[in-house]
Amino acid sequence: MILSNALLLGLMTALFLTLGYLGVPVAFALIAGVLVGTAFTPITLQSMMAQLFNGIDSEALMAIPFFLLVGELMTSANVVIRIAELSQALVGHVRGGLAQVTTVFSMFFSGMSGSSSADVAVLSRTMAKPMAREGYRPEFTAALIAAASTIAALVPPSIMAVVYGAIGNVSIAGLFLGGIVPGLFIGFGLMIYCYFFGPRGFQRPRATFPQLVTAGRAAALPMMIPVILLGGIMTGWFTPTEAGVIAVAYILLIVIPILNPAHLRNVPRDFVLAGMIYSLPLITIAAATAFGWMLAYLRGPIVVSGWIGAIAGDSAILTMFCLVIVFVIVGDFIEPVPAIIIFMPVVNALTDQASINPVHMGVVLIVTLAFGLITPPYGLALLMASKFLDVRFSGALKASLPIYLIFFAAIAFTIFLPEVILWLPRHVFPESVGCFKSPTGPGYICP
Amino acid sequence: MTAPIVLETDRHLKWPAFDRLEYALMILCGICLTGFTLSTLIDVVTRESGHPLLFLQEVTSTFFTYGVFVGASVATRRNDHLFLSALTEKMTGATRRFFEVFNRSVVLLVGLFMVWFGWQNVITGLGSFRMPSMLPMSYLYLGIPMCGALVALFSLEQIVNGLRNGFTPIIGDGPARDVSAGAAGDIGL
Repeated sequence: MILSNALLLGLMTALFLTLGYLGVPVAFALIAGVLVGTAFTPITLQSMMAQLFNGIDSEALMAIPFFLLVGELMTSANVVIRIAELSQALVGHVRGGLAQVTTVFSMFFSGMSGSSSADVAVLSRTMAKPMAREGYRPEFTAALIAAASTIAALVPPSIMAVVYGAIGNVSIAGLFLGGIVPGLFIGFGLMIYCYFFGPRGFQRPRATFPQLVTAGRAAALPMMIPVILLGGIMTGWFTPTEAGVIAVAYILLIVIPILNPAHLRNVPRDFVLAGMIYSLPLITIAAATAFGWMLAYLRGPIVVSGWIGAIAGDSAILTMFCLVIVFVIVGDFIEPVPAIIIFMPVVNALTDQASINPVHMGVVLIVTLAFGLITPPYGLALLMASKFLDVRFSGALKASLPIYLIFFAAIAFTIFLPEVILWLPRHVFPESVGCFKSPTGPGYICP
Repeated sequence: MTAPIVLETDRHLKWPAFDRLEYALMILCGICLTGFTLSTLIDVVTRESGHPLLFLQEVTSTFFTYGVFVGASVATRRNDHLFLSALTEKMTGATRRFFEVFNRSVVLLVGLFMVWFGWQNVITGLGSFRMPSMLPMSYLYLGIPMCGALVALFSLEQIVNGLRNGFTPIIGDGPARDVSAGAAGDIGL
C-alpha cells in the first residue's frame, strides 16, 4: 500500500466532504471518495462496484419504498387534512393554538411516513399559511416544523430505524418500539415548550364532544395505517416490508376510494414520482455501503473503537456518551443514513465491548441523529423548512436554539433510562431485545 | 395541482430532445415500483394462503434493484439527488462556472467508472446464477453500467448547456420545485 491507512482514511473522508459541500450529490461524492481510496489499495475497482449492488441487496431495505409510497399517497390524495383537523379538534384550544396543532399533527403523521423530509414537506404545505395568518413568526414556524418532523425518525415506521436494523443486524421491531417513548418525549416536550414559551397564538374554543367525534370519525381510516404497520410486524404476521405493502394496499383499496375517489386517476402518477423518490436514499445507501466497506478494510472502525474504548472502558454510559458526541459531530455534516452505515462497524464493536443492548444503543443513536436534522451546518429538516417557508436559515436556527434543550433532555433520557426505553419492546415483542422463552414454563428470560 | 413528470426546473441546462428520455425513465420508475408492489403483495397472499411461489422473491428483488438504478439516473437530470450543500450556488462569475463544471465532471467521471467497472461485473456475473430461475447474475448487475451511462449522459448535457447558457437559473425558467404549492395548500385552519 502506497499510503498509510490513516492517510487514506483522511483522504477519502476529506474528498467526500469537499465534493459534498461543493454541491456534488452525496451518493456520487461517496463513490468518488471510494474510487480514489481504492486506487491506492490492492482492491479492484470492479469489486467496489459490486459493493454498490451488495449495499441494497437486503430484504429489510425493501420496506423503504413502501413507507415512502404511503407518505406520497396520503399527501397526494389530500387525506392528511383530516389528520390536521383531528389535531385541531384535540389541541386547538390549548395555549399556543396552531403550534400545538402542528406538533400533534406531526406526531400522527410520523406514524405513517417514516421520513422526516416527508413530514417537513407536509407540515410546511398544510400549516405554514394558517400559522402565518395568525401572526406566528415564520422563523418560529420553520423551527417548530423542523423539530416536530424529527419524530418521524424515531417512531415506527422510521426509515432510519429500518436502515439501522438492516445494516447492524438489530431487530427492526425492537427499534420501532424502543423509539416510541423518545418520540413521545420530544412531541410532548415541544407541546410544553409552545405552551410556556411559544407565542400565545389564537386559541379556539374547545371542541365539543360531537365535534371531536366527527373529526375522529373523519380521520379514522388514515389513522389505521400505523396500526396496520406496527400491528402486522408485532404479531409476527409480516416483515416490515410486507407490512408496508399491506398498508399501501389498504390506502389504494380502502382509504382513497372512500375518502377521495377522484384521486384514483392520479395514482399512476404517484407511483411514478414515488418510484423515483425511493431511489434517492437507496443509491446513497449503496454508495455509503461501499464507503463503509473501504473504511472497514482500512481498519478505521478498529482505530475509532480503540479510541473510544480507551476513554470509556467497559462503561456502558460512557461508551454511549462518547458515541453520542461522535454522532452529533458526524450528524452535523452528513446525512443520517450514510452516517449509520459508515459507522455501524464501530457501533457494533463498542456495543459488544460495553455489553449494551443493541436496541438501546440503536435508539440512543437514532435520537442523536434526529437531533442532527436541526443542527447546523447540515440540519436537513431545518434547511428544508427554511426553504419552504422562505426564511433565512440563520433566523430559523436562532428560533431553534431553545428547542435544542428538549433534544438534550431526550438524549439524556434515552441514555440513562434503558429500562424505560426497553420496557415496550420487552413487553410487546420480547425476542426483539434478546429475550427468549423460558424452558421451564410460560414467560420470557431477558438478559 | 399535480407535479409534472418531466421537470421544467433548470430548463436552461436541458436539451428538449432528452425530455422524452426523462419521461420514459420516470415511467420506468413507476413500472418498477408497481411491479415491486404487486410481486410483494402476491408473495404475501400466496404465502398466507399456503401456496408460496418461490420465484416471486426473485421478481421482487429485480424490480427493486432496477428501480433504484433507474431512479438514480433520472434524478441526475432532475437535480433531485440528496445534497450536503451547494456552496457553488453561492459563488458568482468565473469561479461559479468553474465549480459548476467541476462538480458535474466529477459526476460524469463517476458515471463512466460505473459503466466500465460495472460492465466487468456483468461479465463476471455470467458465471453465477440466481435461484430459482437459474438466470445469470449478470442481468441484475446490468443496472450499474446502465445507470452509469445515463448519469454520464445527463451530466454531459448539463455541462454543455451550462457552458452555453450559463449555470445561474433563468428567471421564469419553469416552476420551482415548491412543495408548499401542493394539493393541500391551505387547509382553512
